[in-house]
Formats: sequence, C-alpha cells, structure tokens
Amino acid sequence: MTGRRTGNRIRGPHSALTDFLAANNISAQQIRDSYQQRVQQAEAEDPAANDGQDNQDGAEEEDAEAAAEAAAAEAAIERTKKRKRRSEKAVAKVKESKAAAKKKAKKAKKGDDDSDESDGDYDDALENMYKKPKKLPGQLENCETCGKRFTVTPYSKAAPDGGLLCTPCGKLVAKDEKALAGKAKKPVAATKKRRKLESDRLDGLVRNGAKTLVQLCIEKVAQHHNDIEEFGDLPVGLLTRLGEIFGKNRVLNSRTLRLFLQPDLDTLAVHEAAYLETEDYEQIFAVIPRIKKLVLNNACQFKDSSVEYMKEKAGGITWLQLGAANLVSNDMWIKLFEERGANYETLKLTWLDAAFDDAAVAAMAQHCTNLTRLKLERCRQITPTGFEHIIHLPKLQHLTLHLSHEIPSDRLVAMLTTIGHQLQTLSLQRALDADDSFLAALHTTCNRLSKLRFCENDACTDAAYAALFTNWTNPPLRFVDLNSTRDIDNSNPDGPPDTTGLGDAGFQALMTHSGSKLEHLDVSSCRHISLACWLAVFDGRKQYPCLQTLNVNFCGTVDTTVVAGVFGSCPQLRKLETFGCFGVEDVRVPRGIVLVGAPRAQDQIEQFGEGWGAGRVVEVGA
Amino acid sequence: MSEEKQTEYVTLVSCDGFEFKIKRSAAILAGAIKNMLDPNSRFQEGLTGRCEFENINGLVLDKVCEYLYYNEKHKDAKDMPDLDIPPELCLELLMAADYLNEREREKETNSMRRRYDKGRDFLATFWRFR
Repeated sequence: MTGRRTGNRIRGPHSALTDFLAANNISAQQIRDSYQQRVQQAEAEDPAANDGQDNQDGAEEEDAEAAAEAAAAEAAIERTKKRKRRSEKAVAKVKESKAAAKKKAKKAKKGDDDSDESDGDYDDALENMYKKPKKLPGQLENCETCGKRFTVTPYSKAAPDGGLLCTPCGKLVAKDEKALAGKAKKPVAATKKRRKLESDRLDGLVRNGAKTLVQLCIEKVAQHHNDIEEFGDLPVGLLTRLGEIFGKNRVLNSRTLRLFLQPDLDTLAVHEAAYLETEDYEQIFAVIPRIKKLVLNNACQFKDSSVEYMKEKAGGITWLQLGAANLVSNDMWIKLFEERGANYETLKLTWLDAAFDDAAVAAMAQHCTNLTRLKLERCRQITPTGFEHIIHLPKLQHLTLHLSHEIPSDRLVAMLTTIGHQLQTLSLQRALDADDSFLAALHTTCNRLSKLRFCENDACTDAAYAALFTNWTNPPLRFVDLNSTRDIDNSNPDGPPDTTGLGDAGFQALMTHSGSKLEHLDVSSCRHISLACWLAVFDGRKQYPCLQTLNVNFCGTVDTTVVAGVFGSCPQLRKLETFGCFGVEDVRVPRGIVLVGAPRAQDQIEQFGEGWGAGRVVEVGA
Repeated sequence: MSEEKQTEYVTLVSCDGFEFKIKRSAAILAGAIKNMLDPNSRFQEGLTGRCEFENINGLVLDKVCEYLYYNEKHKDAKDMPDLDIPPELCLELLMAADYLNEREREKETNSMRRRYDKGRDFLATFWRFR
C-alpha cells in the first residue's frame, strides 16, 4: 500500500487549471476514462477507420500526458480535501463531540486492522474521496438527514458524517448539542462547591466526619426559604441559628422576617437587614413589644420614624445593636437617649457616617448611666471631644472603640485613670497616638481585664510592653490582640535600636503573665519578635493549656521549628495562621488542627491534621 | 450494676408505630438515644434496647436512621457529599435532630453522672469510716 501511495503522490508545481479543476471536483481520471470510453466506442463502431500505427502512437502519447495531468490533479484534490477535512474536523471536535467520538472509534478500529501506521492519512483521503464536496452558500443541496432539497446558507449545519443539513434538521442537531453542553457544565458546580469548601476551611471550620443533622437541616431550610409558611415552635437556639444563616445567605426580606417574629420572643437578631423596609421595623416592635435584645446589622432603612416607634412601643430594650443606621439623625439619637437611655445596658453602634456626633455621645454619656457594654466602631463623626464623655459612664465594663479621629495619648490615660479599674474588655483599634504612658496607665489602673485588643500602633516601645506585663496585678488575660504594633519606616526596615512595638521582651513577658489562661492570641505583623524568642516561648515543653487560636501572620522569623514547638506547647490549639511566614514548610499537622497560610503556591493553603491519634508527637528541633 | 451483654441491634419506634431496627453503634451517635440506651442510666430503654419516640413520626425517623448510618460511615472522612434531605421534611427533621443530637445535653448528663459518681464515692468512704 505504501508503495502505491508514494507512487501516486506526485508533487510539483501545478497550474491554475489543476487548482480550478480540483476546486470544482473535476477529476482528470474521469476525463481520461470517459475519453478512453469514447475512443473504444468509436473503435468498436468503426473498425475500418483504424488507419495504422501512427494514430495509435499519438493516442498513447496523449494517454501518458493525460495520466501525468490526472496524477497531479488528484494530488491537488487530495490536498484541498485534506485542508477541508482538517477544518471540518476542528469544527466537528468543538461542536459534535459525539460524532467525533464515533469517527475516532472508526479510525481506531481501522488502526487495529492495519498494521501499517502511516495508513491512517491515506484511508482518510480515500474515505473523503467518496464524500460529496461541501456546497457553497447559495447552492442547492440535499439534506443529509431528511433528504429534502434546500438552499445552502453560511449557517447551514454540517451533518455528523459530512454533508449539510437543512434548517429544521440543523435546529434539531443544535438542540442536542445544547443538551450535551449542559451536561458538560456540571463540573463547574463541583468547582464551586470546592471553592466553598476551601473558604470554610480558611474560616477555620475544621470538620472531620459528617455535618450534624441539625446543620444539614438548617442549610436545607435556608435553601427553601421561599416555601416556608411558618417555623412552628422551634427552640430559640435554632431560631437564632436560622436567623444567622438567612442573613448570611441574604434571604432575609420582608417575607422571611415574618417567620422570625414570634410574640413570646425577647431576642431578635437580624444580621443582614438591608432588604428590610421601614414598615418591617415597625412590624418588629408591633409583634414583639416585650423585646429585650435587638440586633440589626446593615439597617439602612432604619429611620427617625422607626426609632420613634421603637421608643414608644418597645420600652424594655436593654441591648441595642445597630449597624449602618445612617438615616437616624443626631436629634433623634439625643431624643432616644433622653427618653430610653437609662434602660440600656449594652449599646453597639457601628458604621455611622452621617450622624452620631459628639453631641450624641454627650447625651449618651449623660443618660445611659446603666451601660456596661459600649461599642462604637467606625463612627466617623466622633472626635476626641466626644471621646472624653465616655469616661462619665459609671458602670462601663466592656469598651470597644474604633474611631476615625486619633485620640491623643493623654486623653486615653485620663480615660483609664477614671474607669480603668472596672474594665473587663478594652479594645482599641487604630490607636495610633497612644504611647508608652498609655501602657504604663494600663499597668497601674486595670486589674480586671480579660480581653485586651490594642492594634495598629507604632509609638509604644518593647520596653513599655515588657513593663506592662511584668508584675501586673491583672489576672492572666483570656484574649490578647496586639497585631500590627511595630515600627513602620520604609527607609529603616529594621527599626530603631530599642525596639518599637511588641518585641522579644514584651512577648516573653506577655506569655509569662497570661500563658496559663490565654485562649486567643493575635500577634500578626509584630515583626520585631526574633526567632530565638519564638523558640524560647514555644519550646514544646512550656505549656499553654488554653490556647486555641494563634495568629502569627507576617512574623517573618517564624519557621517550621517554631510551628512544631507551637503544636507541642498548645494542647488545645485549633487554628494557627502563618500567612507570610516563609520559613514554614513541610509541616506535619496534628489531628484536629488547621494550619492556614502555607507560603508556596503548590501547597494547599490550609493543612489539616489527620491520621494521628490524640498523642501529639511533634519533633522539636533546636 | 452488672454489665449485661449488649445487643448488636436496637429498635427505634416512631409515634405512628413504625419500628426501625438499626445497629447500636450507629444509634448511639445521637446523644439522646445514647443516653436512653446507656445501661447505667437505668432507663427502661437501656435494658430492652427499644426506644419509643412520641414526637417523631415514621417518615422523619426513617430519615434519622438514614442519617445515623451516613454519619457512622463518614466518621473520619473529609469532604463527603451531604445527605439529601427532602425539603418538605426538613423542618420536622430539624426539630427531631435538635431533640436527638444535642452535644450539650450529652455533656450535661455526663457531668451530672460524674457528680453523681463523686457523691457516691464520697458516701461510700464516709460510711466505711463510720
């Protein structure tokens, strides 16, 4: 076969005529055949006309010429056909996976039959020879499926086995293709699911084994929130959980809110109230007038009128938490505090830009004398003047502030000297101006703290931190967040010689003071803590029995040994974050712990402990 | 309390009379069932291996049993597919699940038992010394 193939395939320059003939499917072989037929016919009809040898020679010569021409033409045809076939194949591959598969199967079969590998091309060519040429737009063609005659357009579909389809048949084929494409889309959903899984892991939701049935049901309920008419008498815990999920999925609207409004409740927490209208808020207070604790986050439509209604209907509220309620005016805040301020024990206001200025804070401080918890986060209009009023809250125990204006250190010190002794929670985010005197005041005034957050500060020195935690009368802290307390100076990355921010001495003093009770520790970006200090603190022998979450992101000195030491020193550890710690690699994570933030792209970003039993055998180098 | 030999299968009975015989190992994954079946708890169920639920109907209990087996099968697995729950059942199932599988409740009874044991030990020593 190979011989025949090479013999047949004469390549060389060819004329425009051969191209034309090839394009129009005029075969030289055919011409020659018909010519010979005619000659033979003529011979048979008129044998007497055969004159002599000369004529015969001429005919032979002509024959040879015709043969050469025919071979060239055939080669050209083959070439164009090959080109056509290639493009057809590409189209078929994209559009008709089914047909392609069939073809492939056919080819594979052939491949099995023929021992010669290079036969494939030739067989294809042969196969193509018997195929009809593809008609051009405007020409008439018979449909491959139904056989009807129709005019070819550029949009005519190709039949699976070559040829073209009429418009109705083409539509049918297109439908099938769509169905196929739909099937192919399914893996996308799987990817999405995987993404959700990864996101859960990053949130620290470590899960071995199945979800609880309650969790499964709650998810299902949230999925079918539209079909639910009422919850019936679900326990309060489940209702709260459902409320959270509804908020998270952003399906808490006027309709679904009704499900949660039950007159005998005393708590309502709507964590995503963006879809609620003013009437819905009024509905809340109309249905649950005895409500004690109200949480509304993203309460964009909570207006003056709603506050007025709340003031009148629901007088018993003691816990008020509002997020982004920017349509409530200053006057209304003041009026609210004047009338109901004495009731409030907890007040948490976040994301208020348009109102709630110093005058409102003053009114709050004057009237809300029973406040024990106060949280003011991202309330843009509060200035240091407003801040000063806070110290007049006599019963305050938990204070969380995240203000846009910087509070001078001396005012913070004044606050601590007045109410520091009674504080259990102190959370100051973005306390840029606080300096060593603040930490000193903390040391002398506070003796009941259990939660301390003090971040984004570049003024306090390591020595001051060490002094704070050394011989502090305050009992060991449960929650410490000192993230981003470090020197920031691009031109001097190592910082000044006496360390600014939490450094070796401060960190060691902190762990000595609070290590026995500490549950959550965040020292991310405290980049002046040295490797030796890390190793000394987490040496695998010192135990921090309560520590559950540890965040050491962007502490560049942390390496694998430190991580191993952490695993050894913290028996209760659940989550360790090490983003930006490039020395951490190839860690074997014990069971039940999640390590987030592996630095190399090919590693999974979070690593789960598995396969190990309760005993944590961690090799500690160093 | 003598350690009686525990049967491999236990029976769960729904309020409308359907009985489900399931493996004990799967059944005790639900905190409430575990407490009922605990021979030390001196509940009748602990002796007979038969738990009757007056507030759970057959359909829901069927699903509960399915979940228990699913849970047992995937005890240590990660990323397993979620169990399919028919939407019309999910609220009732939620109530049942809340009733049956409360870790807190389990913990509570455990701590109660511990306290009880402590008291018993104390009394025992007390009487011995008297």
